[in-house]
Amino acid sequence: MITLAQYLKRSATYKLFTTLFSEVVMFLDTIGGIIQLGIHFISRIFKDGISGKELAAQCERFGISSLPITLSIVGMTSIIVSSQVANEMVKQGGADFVGMLMTILIVREVGAVMSGFAITSMIGSSLASELATMKVTEQIDAIDVLGVDSVGHLFIPRVLSGILMMPVIVLIASFVGVLLGALTSNLFSGLSYRAYFSSVWLGLYMKDFWVSLLKAATFGGTIALISCAFGYNAKGGAKGVGIATTQAVVWSFIAIVIWDMVFAILFFF
Amino acid sequence: MSIEVKNLIKKFDDKVVINDISFHVNNGEILAIVGFSGSGKSTVLKIISGLIPYDSGEILTSDGDIAMVFQYSALFDSLNVFDNISFALQERKDLKHKYSMKDLQKIVAQKLELVGLSGIENKFPSELSGGMQKRVSFARAIVTNPNTILYDEPTAGLDPMSSTLIEDYIVRLKNETNSASIVVTHQMSTITRTADRVIMLYDGGIVFEGTPKELLKETNPYTKQFVTASLDGPMQLKA
Repeated sequence: MITLAQYLKRSATYKLFTTLFSEVVMFLDTIGGIIQLGIHFISRIFKDGISGKELAAQCERFGISSLPITLSIVGMTSIIVSSQVANEMVKQGGADFVGMLMTILIVREVGAVMSGFAITSMIGSSLASELATMKVTEQIDAIDVLGVDSVGHLFIPRVLSGILMMPVIVLIASFVGVLLGALTSNLFSGLSYRAYFSSVWLGLYMKDFWVSLLKAATFGGTIALISCAFGYNAKGGAKGVGIATTQAVVWSFIAIVIWDMVFAILFFF
Repeated sequence: MSIEVKNLIKKFDDKVVINDISFHVNNGEILAIVGFSGSGKSTVLKIISGLIPYDSGEILTSDGDIAMVFQYSALFDSLNVFDNISFALQERKDLKHKYSMKDLQKIVAQKLELVGLSGIENKFPSELSGGMQKRVSFARAIVTNPNTILYDEPTAGLDPMSSTLIEDYIVRLKNETNSASIVVTHQMSTITRTADRVIMLYDGGIVFEGTPKELLKETNPYTKQFVTASLDGPMQLKA
C-alpha cells in the first residue's frame, strides 16, 4: 500500500514539474554566477587598474583577427537580403527606397547582430576554451596562489577589448554591408548606384548610428563576459572544456537576441 | 613555527573530506602527507594555499608568502619561462612596480640557476620536458621567497631519474630558503628521500604520524597496508 505522497511522486506530472523546476534553478544559478563574476570584474578594474599591454593584445585578437570572418558573414547576409529585396522593390516601383531599406536593416540590425554571432563563434568560443583549459590544468589556481586575482587578470583585458572593439567591427561591417547592398542591387536588379546611395541618407539617422554602436559595445562585453565566465567555471578535463565552450556559445547567442530585443523596445518602439 | 593547522574540518555538501586534523611544520622542515587517492591530501594543500575555503578549524602561518607547486606544473602555456617565473613580480599589486626589467632578469636567472636550468628564459613550456617544466614551476614558486612551499604530488608522471632529481631539488630548496615544506605524495622514494616527518591520511583523518623510518617499520596496520601496497587491510579503496 502506498501513500498519496508516494503516488504523486511517481506521477509523470510530478516528474515534469521537478525537472522544470531544476532547469529553472540551474538557469538562474548560471545567470547569478555570470553576474557575480561581472561584479567581481568591475570591482577589480578599480582595484588593479588596466594593463595597456594585455588590453592591446586582446584588442588585436578581438578586432583584427576576427574581421575577415565578420565581414564575410555580414557581407554575405547583405548580398542575400538585397538580392531578394531590391528585385521586388524595383518591380513594385520602390527603387528609390532600396538604399534606405538596406541601410536601416544593416545599421539597426544586421551589422550588429550578425557580427555578434560571428564574434561569438570565433572569439567567444576561443575565450571560453582558453580559460577552461587554464582552469582544468590548474593555471588559474596558480595565478591565485601567486597572489594575483585571477578574475581581474583574465577578465579585465578580455571583456574591455570586447566592449572597445565590437563597435569598431560593427562600424566597418555595416559600411561594407551597405556597399555590398549597392553592388548586389546594381548587378541583380539593375538599380543605379546613384538611386541607391541617394536614398541611403533618408534612412540613416544619428540616433541609429549611436544606438548601433552602443548595442555593439553591449554585445561585445556580453559575449566576452559570458565566454570568460563559462571558461572560468569549467570542471573536469577535456570534456569539461568542450561543455564550457558549447555553453558559452549557446548562452552568448541567447544573450545577443535578448539584448537586441531590449534595444529595439527601448529605442525604436 | 611556520605553519600550524588546528582541528581542520572540510565538507563537500554533507560529505566530510577532512575530519578534524591538526599538524604543524617548522621552518627548514619537510612534512610529507601520504595516503591513497581520495584520502584528502590535495584538499589539505588547497585549503592551506587559500584556493578552497574550510568549514572550521584554524590555519596559523608566519608572515610571508605561501607558494605551491602543482601536480602537473600548471605553467602558463602562453608565456615563456621568463614571464612564467616573474609573473608574480610583474602582476602582483604590491610587487609590480618594485622591480625594473634588469632586476627581473637577474632574479629569474638566479632562480633558474637554483633549479639547474640556466639560460632557458625564452623557451615556452611546450618546448620543455615534464621534469624541466616541474623545475621551472619550482623556480616560479620561490620567486617571492615564500616561507612555506606546498608540493602537490611533485613526482607524478615523471620517470624514476627525473623523480630523483625533483626530490633532490625539494631538499635543496628547503635548505636554500629555510622554508617549511609540505609534500603531498604517495611515492615511497619521495617520502624517504625528502621528508623529515610523515602524516598519513585515510578518510579525511590522520591515521599515522611519525618519521619515514617509523612509517617503514609497518607496525601500524594502515602504514603496513600502504607500504606493502596491499589490498587487504583497514583501508578500502573507493572504486
